[in-house]
Amino acid sequence: MTQDAEPIAGRTDPMEERWVSLAREGNEDAFASLVRAHQDRLYHVALRLVGHPADAQDAVQESLLQVWQHLDGFRGEAQFSTWVMRILINRCHNVLRARKLTVPLPDDIGSAEGLPQAPSAEDLAVRAQRRDAVRAAVLSLPFDQRAPLVLTVFGGYTHAETGRILGISETAAKVRAHRGRKTLLARLQEWR
Amino acid sequence: MSPSNSEDDRLPCGVGVDTLLTQVAEHAPPRDPAHQRSCPHCRAALAELADLWAPVTKLAAEDVRAPAGLLQEVMAQIRELSRNAWHAVLTDPTGQTRIAARVVGAVARLAAESVPHVSVAFGGGRPETRAGQSPSLTEIAGAAGEPATDVGVAGCHVIIDVQIAVDYGVPIAHVAQAVRSRIVEHLVAHTGLITREVNVIVIDVLPSLR
Repeated sequence: MTQDAEPIAGRTDPMEERWVSLAREGNEDAFASLVRAHQDRLYHVALRLVGHPADAQDAVQESLLQVWQHLDGFRGEAQFSTWVMRILINRCHNVLRARKLTVPLPDDIGSAEGLPQAPSAEDLAVRAQRRDAVRAAVLSLPFDQRAPLVLTVFGGYTHAETGRILGISETAAKVRAHRGRKTLLARLQEWR
Repeated sequence: MSPSNSEDDRLPCGVGVDTLLTQVAEHAPPRDPAHQRSCPHCRAALAELADLWAPVTKLAAEDVRAPAGLLQEVMAQIRELSRNAWHAVLTDPTGQTRIAARVVGAVARLAAESVPHVSVAFGGGRPETRAGQSPSLTEIAGAAGEPATDVGVAGCHVIIDVQIAVDYGVPIAHVAQAVRSRIVEHLVAHTGLITREVNVIVIDVLPSLR
């Protein structure tokens, strides 16, 4: 994982606080600094949630515009990064709803629909296929499992942070992420 | 061993598969290292889970960066938004038409008032903006000192919140729907703007005078 470091829970980065304060007053350079600091992580999470790079980029851009328009309403109860990520998650959810891709997993886990076929003999091809299989398997998860899984595994968030982003308890975030992991593993196992 | 089994899926040694999965996925230390070192069931299960989870770890470790133009695109949109925050904009090859939010609010108010049994529709518009300040949409659209119609504009799209009072005895939901439809019709007819959303807030019922 690449991504910028999330400040320790309960502690706010003073520089970021300053940027937020300036951006709230309409300072575009300060807002650009905030975007620069968070865009990679936001994009990574969006990409794993919606699957398509163009959709992920749109979701991030629209979320950041929404953030700019609602900075007045950000009172600092949550960390800025948590608030922005929450907006992005909602945006991604809307994108998926619009696409009607949030199809729950079938009960019959023997179905491998949507996953790549058996790997080829070539090692590189196999590796690429396994990567594609993971991407497809993540996208096949129902959103209530996918969001916590993506935030923890790909976004690098702790369960506590994931809970704050999703508006659920840390325990609920942990349970959902674990369910997502199990479903993901079952999918990968049947592909293999 | 199947990681998809029920949550109490256990190995013959009694260790839960879930525990091992968490250990693998979160790179967590084993709960009982001594047992794990000597238990063939645990070691086999760990090897299996680690192999299954490896492509996930690899995918998570990919260096994913936001597209190069994302920052510039966002900032360009923000600058555009700042320029037009209180105007709706109709773009034509021969030029732009900007319609102030207060105009949109006024059209919406008049449209609402034209609906039978809607006796009052607040939001008369406030043309002046304090020097050096960005105008508040609420203040622009609202009647003097009494913001009652909120107008959100972005490009050619409009969102209206309108407060009305209706005559006592009429079906409020029907009247609200009529207000909604009338505002959409009038805005497209008079301004060419697309109304995305009309939220009607019924704030009072009045004795019917009609």
